[in-house]
Amino acid sequence: MKNLMNKLIKQTEFWVFMIIIVLALLIQARSGAFFANNNIVDIMRSMICPALYAVCALLAFVSTGPDVSFPLIAALSSYLAIVITYGTGYDGPWFVVYLIGMFFGALMGALNGFIIVKYKFPSLIVTLGTSSLFSGILLGAFEAERMELPDTLQRFGSMNLLTVSNEKTGLGSALPMTFLILIVVYLIAYAVLNFTMVGRGVYAIGGDEISAERAGFDVKKIRFGIFVINGMIAAVAGLCYSVMSMKYLPTEFAGGEMVVIAAIVLGGARLTGGVGTLKGCLLGTLLLTMVTNSLILAGISVYWQKVFIGGIIIIGTAIPAIQYFLGGSRGKKVKGGEAA
Amino acid sequence: MENILSVKGIKKSFGGVHALKGVDLTIRKGEIHCLAGENGCGKSTIIKVISGFYQPDEGSIEIDGKGYPVMTPSDAIRAGVQVIYQDFSIFPNLTVIENLAFNQVLANRKKLVNRKEFRRIAEEAVAKINFEVDLNALVETLPVADKQLIAISRALLENAKLIIMDEPTTALTKKEVARLFEIIADLKKRGITILFVSHKLDEVFEISDSITILRSGENVISCPASEMNEEKFAYYMTGRHFDTQQLGQKKKKGAFGETVLECEHLSAAGFEDVSFQLHQGEILGITGQLGSGRTELSLSLFGLNRPVSGRIKVEGNEVDIRDVTTAQSLGIALVPEDRLTEGLFLPQSIIRNITVTRLDGLAGKTGILNSKTVTEESEKWVKELGVATKNHELPVQTLSGGNQQKVVLARWLANRPKVLILNGPTVGVDIGAKYDIHTLLHQLAEEGMAVIVVSDDTAEVIATCDSAIIMQGGRMTGRLESQDLTEANLAKAAI
Repeated sequence: MKNLMNKLIKQTEFWVFMIIIVLALLIQARSGAFFANNNIVDIMRSMICPALYAVCALLAFVSTGPDVSFPLIAALSSYLAIVITYGTGYDGPWFVVYLIGMFFGALMGALNGFIIVKYKFPSLIVTLGTSSLFSGILLGAFEAERMELPDTLQRFGSMNLLTVSNEKTGLGSALPMTFLILIVVYLIAYAVLNFTMVGRGVYAIGGDEISAERAGFDVKKIRFGIFVINGMIAAVAGLCYSVMSMKYLPTEFAGGEMVVIAAIVLGGARLTGGVGTLKGCLLGTLLLTMVTNSLILAGISVYWQKVFIGGIIIIGTAIPAIQYFLGGSRGKKVKGGEAA
Repeated sequence: MENILSVKGIKKSFGGVHALKGVDLTIRKGEIHCLAGENGCGKSTIIKVISGFYQPDEGSIEIDGKGYPVMTPSDAIRAGVQVIYQDFSIFPNLTVIENLAFNQVLANRKKLVNRKEFRRIAEEAVAKINFEVDLNALVETLPVADKQLIAISRALLENAKLIIMDEPTTALTKKEVARLFEIIADLKKRGITILFVSHKLDEVFEISDSITILRSGENVISCPASEMNEEKFAYYMTGRHFDTQQLGQKKKKGAFGETVLECEHLSAAGFEDVSFQLHQGEILGITGQLGSGRTELSLSLFGLNRPVSGRIKVEGNEVDIRDVTTAQSLGIALVPEDRLTEGLFLPQSIIRNITVTRLDGLAGKTGILNSKTVTEESEKWVKELGVATKNHELPVQTLSGGNQQKVVLARWLANRPKVLILNGPTVGVDIGAKYDIHTLLHQLAEEGMAVIVVSDDTAEVIATCDSAIIMQGGRMTGRLESQDLTEANLAKAAI
């Protein structure tokens, strides 16, 4: 039992989980509405897109460095998928539209990956650049505007996994089918990261690139692959976002990256690479979604949310330091014991 | 005896610079062969040739009787060559199991992770050298010595016949070095050949059967270790003769000037009740193992570890060294232990590194820096200390370890301190530069500066210091003066 506790307090995820519990209880105490079924479903719904983005951010951070291009890849690839669906008059199953989007997402990711792997440029700079490029293409060259979704996506968007209504307040909420996509992406990512050599390679590269090369990992291939996959996940997220809003909104994507990166850092991803888990991703995203969604229940104004987010990020990034401090003081005691 | 490795006439150049100018290296099966040479002599290049990472421009490679006209890294591994790099090629963020198992799993071209197989490989690896470690621990939480043992046990997994260790003792404590040597001796018994790259004399003599020395990309000598002695070794490595006799001469107690620094029953975090006097022109050693309090004591003298009781007197006046600024204004300077991370701005130019602590002085009354004054000042020190560089505008990281140390020294000397404290002044520095630094310290002492050398290297303390205090477990266990300062007495005092 003691061992388990020791193990737990060493994990950043555990601390984030504790913050989530405390925050949930606080909001519940002040509003009595946090644990209402519609609120829980609302939070799950709001988590879908950020949690998908979080996988992109995680893969990039663990292996290479920050990727900030995923919101724009999401915007441009979902735009292309929708336009092509309209252009061809396609009206079959929804996932074909997703596949088209993923194809374009993969291309854009490949551009990131190519520059980063081939020229060894820092990923932050490259993805900032490509973000701007994609944004220019989307809004300048294509003059993308708000538009309705094709019928196939409309049908997909109106399907719900689950609907609930709160008896006390009469408020209802629905969990869309896209939630299943989130679960599938996480399951695949979990399996690949933990049970394949390529997945372990992602961590190995982040730990020490030269060692990884000497051990026999194909560093370039893995890195390039990560950015291609990131592009594909971003495209999926972009389409999910459109499906859930029942409209394509070209200007709503940009700027989403910072909160997502904050979420994964909260979840224990290390800025210097090599460390970070999907569990942490989900918890970090959940925490920030709770803050943006539910603080208002506790009567805290929208403007104060930003203060809360800022505070949580700072506390969250301090967790490793706190753990180090705890570990360090334990270590010292042991040493003292030996000397005496 | 057969040869496990025989390379002949290896030449390799990079962009017109000849790194290797026809190097021969023959290693017999089952021996411990030492490859020595100063920084930049081509040691690492020849290792990379042997392990297949560099293709030589000319020359032949033969491993275990088989010739390799073209050798790739995987050829080398298949032939049984394993390199343990200075960074150990580990993944700090992953567990011991994964660190041990990756190479083999990847070599078998497995795509999936099989936890049981991983554990089996890891257990097999650590069993080879009876290495006890928590296999589930993250490698970053382990001490350096354990990281090295991970690298060694991993190398053994690959049926290594020849293990090349690139300066394996650099980051180890004495105890850890002793343990490493036991392991090397054990490997030798099992018929594994070791190529041990080092420039530390005592280690080379302790462990190797034969020695090859390189200088500027050429063979200088290859011979059995028994035919080598310290003087020859130093000469072959550097091409210079060293007068170590003179450096070893110790001044008697009366030969010093006035008392500059005095500690009375000084206690602070890390040490207790330390008293000593330091005179003008004296070189005092503070020696002791890691954790003995030697470093903490030196920090207290420089205002970085405030004493809780006792007194410090500088030139007879009691002082309170609150912080670094106070220490500096009292004329105390400290050259930190890890010069690379604590003492230098590596990407910055030599000139900036030398003048950074003196900018106020150089700026004069106007507070505006005159680039000519700064340049002159820097040039003066580069010349005076003999920093080997063509241009002091170059970044410090282009210099060798010894020359980097000189730059750090120049910076502190520029403030004309009365007391110069050096923490491990020659850690990781090669023999020629070491000699230069020791000579320089003697020169400074001759000019009346009081010098404190903090070091766990007893040979260094004996070679350079006039007297020494010995610390253990936070207490001062003895003080040795002039002729009494010998290896035997130091060992006695440390008990």
